[in-house]
Amino acid sequence: MKYGLFLGCNISFNRPDVEAAIRSVSPLLGVELDDLNGQSCCPTWGTVPSVDTIAWCAVGARNLALGEEKGIDLVTACNTCYSSLSEARYKMLNDAETMREVNEILKKIGKEYKGKSKCRHVAWVLYRDVGLDRIKKAAKYELDDIVIAVQPGCHFLWPSKVLPDREEDPFNPVVLRELCKVLGADVRPYTRMIDCCGAGALKSTNQEKSYKLAKMKLECIRKETDADLIVTTCSSCLIQLDEAQEMLRKRGEIDFSIPVLHYVQLLALCMGFDPERVAGICVTPRDEIISKIVESGRK
Amino acid sequence: MEEHVPAVINLTYLWKKEREELGEKVIETIKGFGAEGIEYCMQCGACSSICPLATTGFEWYNRRLIKAIDFGIRDELFDDVTPWACVACNRCVEVCPRNVNPFEVMFAMRRLMIEELAVPMTAVQALKSLYDHGHAVYTTGREARKKVGLPEKPPTTDSDEKALEELRVLLRNTKLPELGLFPMS
Amino acid sequence: MKKPRIGVYVCHCGENIAGAVDVKKVREFAEKLPDVVVARDYLFMCSDPGQELIKKDIRDGLVDRVVVASCTPKTHEPIFRRACEAEGLNKYYLEMANIRDQCSWPHWHEKEKATEKAKQLVASAVAKARLLKPLEDMFVELNQDVLVIGGGIAGIFAALDIGNAGYRVYLVEKNPSIGGNMAKLDKTFPTNDCSSCILTPLMVDVANHPNIELLTYSEVESVEGTVGKFRVKVRKKQTWVDWEKCTGCGACLDACPPKAMVPNEFNEGLDTRGAIYIPFPQAVPRKAVIDIDACIKCGGREFGEAPRITRDGKEILAPCEKACPTGACSRTEPKNPEGEVVELEVGAIIVATGYRVMEKTHFKELAAHSPNVITALQMERLISATGPTEGKLIIPADIPKYKAWKKKGRGEDIELRSPEVITFISCVGSRSRKYHTYCSRVCCMYMLKQAMQLKESYPDLEIYISFIDVRAAGKDFDEYYMRCKELGVKIIRGRAGGIQELPDGRLLVRSYDSDIGKPVEIVSDLVVLATAIEPSSSELARKLGISLGVEGFLREKHTKLYPVDTLREGIFICGCAQGPKDIPDSVAQAKAAASSAMALLSKGKMRVEPLIAEVDMEKCSGCGICAPLCPYKAITIEHDGKRRAEINATLCKGCGVCAAECPSKAIDLHGFTFEQILSQIEVFAEFEEA
Repeated sequence: MKYGLFLGCNISFNRPDVEAAIRSVSPLLGVELDDLNGQSCCPTWGTVPSVDTIAWCAVGARNLALGEEKGIDLVTACNTCYSSLSEARYKMLNDAETMREVNEILKKIGKEYKGKSKCRHVAWVLYRDVGLDRIKKAAKYELDDIVIAVQPGCHFLWPSKVLPDREEDPFNPVVLRELCKVLGADVRPYTRMIDCCGAGALKSTNQEKSYKLAKMKLECIRKETDADLIVTTCSSCLIQLDEAQEMLRKRGEIDFSIPVLHYVQLLALCMGFDPERVAGICVTPRDEIISKIVESGRK
Repeated sequence: MEEHVPAVINLTYLWKKEREELGEKVIETIKGFGAEGIEYCMQCGACSSICPLATTGFEWYNRRLIKAIDFGIRDELFDDVTPWACVACNRCVEVCPRNVNPFEVMFAMRRLMIEELAVPMTAVQALKSLYDHGHAVYTTGREARKKVGLPEKPPTTDSDEKALEELRVLLRNTKLPELGLFPMS
Repeated sequence: MKKPRIGVYVCHCGENIAGAVDVKKVREFAEKLPDVVVARDYLFMCSDPGQELIKKDIRDGLVDRVVVASCTPKTHEPIFRRACEAEGLNKYYLEMANIRDQCSWPHWHEKEKATEKAKQLVASAVAKARLLKPLEDMFVELNQDVLVIGGGIAGIFAALDIGNAGYRVYLVEKNPSIGGNMAKLDKTFPTNDCSSCILTPLMVDVANHPNIELLTYSEVESVEGTVGKFRVKVRKKQTWVDWEKCTGCGACLDACPPKAMVPNEFNEGLDTRGAIYIPFPQAVPRKAVIDIDACIKCGGREFGEAPRITRDGKEILAPCEKACPTGACSRTEPKNPEGEVVELEVGAIIVATGYRVMEKTHFKELAAHSPNVITALQMERLISATGPTEGKLIIPADIPKYKAWKKKGRGEDIELRSPEVITFISCVGSRSRKYHTYCSRVCCMYMLKQAMQLKESYPDLEIYISFIDVRAAGKDFDEYYMRCKELGVKIIRGRAGGIQELPDGRLLVRSYDSDIGKPVEIVSDLVVLATAIEPSSSELARKLGISLGVEGFLREKHTKLYPVDTLREGIFICGCAQGPKDIPDSVAQAKAAASSAMALLSKGKMRVEPLIAEVDMEKCSGCGICAPLCPYKAITIEHDGKRRAEINATLCKGCGVCAAECPSKAIDLHGFTFEQILSQIEVFAEFEEA
């Protein structure tokens, strides 16, 4: 199992602890990672996708071609990268003219994209390629008394037709819940599980409206699950639920604090990696949950 | 924000403008920007029922934007921020019974607006950052990376001048330079 | 006499009866009633196993009278009668107690009282059952000819189907030509066939059909008798043109002077016709008639008067008479305002009298006074090649200039303005508590059709349709709607509430788009109102003795199960006379009505229940009170040369009016004898005392 690790901007610069986590757990799970030197932004929505479809696909194709040249698929821990690259690939595969125009541009930098390599989501690689058994065996700590609410994130689910791996029912996703359950956690469903967290362009356009969505989701989690921990597979959701939550709490709009982790961080913690490295960056405090995992969750 | 779409929509003014000034129906323009399915819309509103923009009170979310475009409203929407707030969640695409792809309508509107330079600064900054660094989100401070024991620079265009130049050449061969949003030498 | 052995069968009707009535208690009560030998209950007595309970008891010789306590005999009596018959028991030994419609349903929230009432109903039915007598069915001969009233698409299809099956059909149409409203349509949704192209061959078929007698320009005057033997009077209006001689050449039409011009019905008043006219080019029969009310009586000569003679002995003929090459047109013909009455006898009648569209004049808020606001049927005429402008699309205000424009040659002085913007407005008079509460069903589709037709012929036209909502529920209809949208027709989702005429005659349409949530305004050259479909006059229904719904459409016997039957046996309905519908539905209903009529008539005779009145000649005093009371004219006061009442068994419907009124109690109604009815009343009296 070899993949090109596609980092994306958020993880590279804002949440490198997620990068550290994925790099830590992969070898122990039999996953070999290639650095895909020279990769760029996926491109994210606010950049070239807002300008032109061909430009969107061209930037995406260049990134995908880095894997294709080595005969490997990409793997990412960011939902935006997953979605942008998948949608670009879908457009190119379903419209020969788009593919042709994109390759004309790629030719100018001596590259070509044939449509073979795709970008996989780390959650799907863990679920399908590594397998729940191997994950269970690799974990040192069991999340016995820990209640988890999951946030799969929009771009993990929609539009399902462009994604390389699909939930059987995207409106009732199970993959992330299964991944958490295998670590021993009590995963509880809640009404607004598939709703948007409010990150991305909504946040940069109108922070208050963005917080409104985050608050709606957090209150729902609190009320319906009383979770100890929120686990997501998306770097944007991770930042939003972590940062917006602390802001809302400081303003007195909410009176609780639920730590947020990316799934690979949770996995790295369970596998015994140094919390400082694999889960060291946050606003909403994580210390308590981390010590709970490490101290009381020993198998 | 001030509402530029008038309280009473004058359809006569709009179709005359399409015919005499623009030389093209606005809906055709939008189709040209990638929203080929817009005509299939029957205004059922399924997209808006789950749209983060509609649920947080933005004005011209998917269903209303589609109808406005159908009526030929265009310039009056240039001051509206709604398309730029779209998180591209694509849930609308998943639920649309008519394969309209409302997300592409939102983005087609962005593409039209950007041509008219009706673009928020944050978007220009993101594009410039992509061109300058290969990353839309970019920081110079590397404490976070160092703290978790990673090399200061990720193995991206950030640490690869040749790759960055490659990306710039690529971008210069797209529509981006035509827009003149920032210098691209 | 042998003592009757009665079996009582109480039905639960699922929860319908058992939900309110304690069925077990009713059964136990019935067991103790006089002459009852067995009482049973079952979940659904009408089901096969339920019927088998009854059959077995008869088979085993246990019972010879059956009382079923269940639902209404209207729907279920035939079923239980057949069960008795199957085991060799005379089917009139069955009595039903309706403990559902008349007990459990109305007394749903009074369970104890409902149970008590059910007991009374059962006791009463048992009392009657003790006195039941066996009866034998009768058969009456049927006339197998059929009368179809209305020569639109529904009437045409009903007539053709019946005629093709070999029965004789009289098709009566009030206008000079058959074809109805469909003849006015240009194209038809959802396939856009040319209406005339599909209709004209059918009209010709009717005219040439050996089994169809066409009576146009005629109206039904009266209908008497009953199923199998209706006696119908049809009044043929005077045409003043001998149709035997008229070749339909049309020479008379041009001779009629301009002063005699009146609004042309066929073009929905958009242009005019003369007093002598042929309704439309494809008319069947293609014959001229003189509209006596419109005629200006050229030369001051009254109808029926012979022409004056000139000094040199020549007749001074009216222009129309003079123009006629065959001498068919004659105003000398004796005046007969009553018309000619034709008497027919038929076994069944199909009513297909169609609809009319509501006029725009009611809608003042929609600038009804403007010539450029027209109804959708007028729009059909405007775009039709046989319309007032021969299909040339101009604004209606300019129609009066069309003939002059054509004569002068194109491009001269006279300018005809073509519309640039057309707006359609839905639900004008439909779905309204001011006019008609119903949906007219075809408007959404014909607006889309007209819009599509216009957009295909004139792609630069701006077309708006102001809908409350788009109702496109038929086969291939929604796809049609979407195709129309793809052609660039714009949908305003809201009904226009105001139209103001601008100084130049154009129209400012004010609507509201609920999708965007704002009012919209549009300057239009032409506005089309989708005015409601209305029932035609109620006069005929009264003559036929069939009922109308609250909105004035003919009422069917049962909305779902008997959609083309009426409460009067032998009279069937179809097409828009029954309610608004499109051509496919009208045709389907017409064919259904034709089949129903034929199913009734095909055997040549009909089974009649023997539940009719009979006179006891010993008791009858010949007073004659009964005869004028009989609604079916079944009683004559003569029997074997004596003054006695005699009842015609084929005419008697068993209503019982005569029996109730007879001062000598000489008349008894089989199945409802005095004895039987009194026994039932006595039971109720006993309950009352207890």
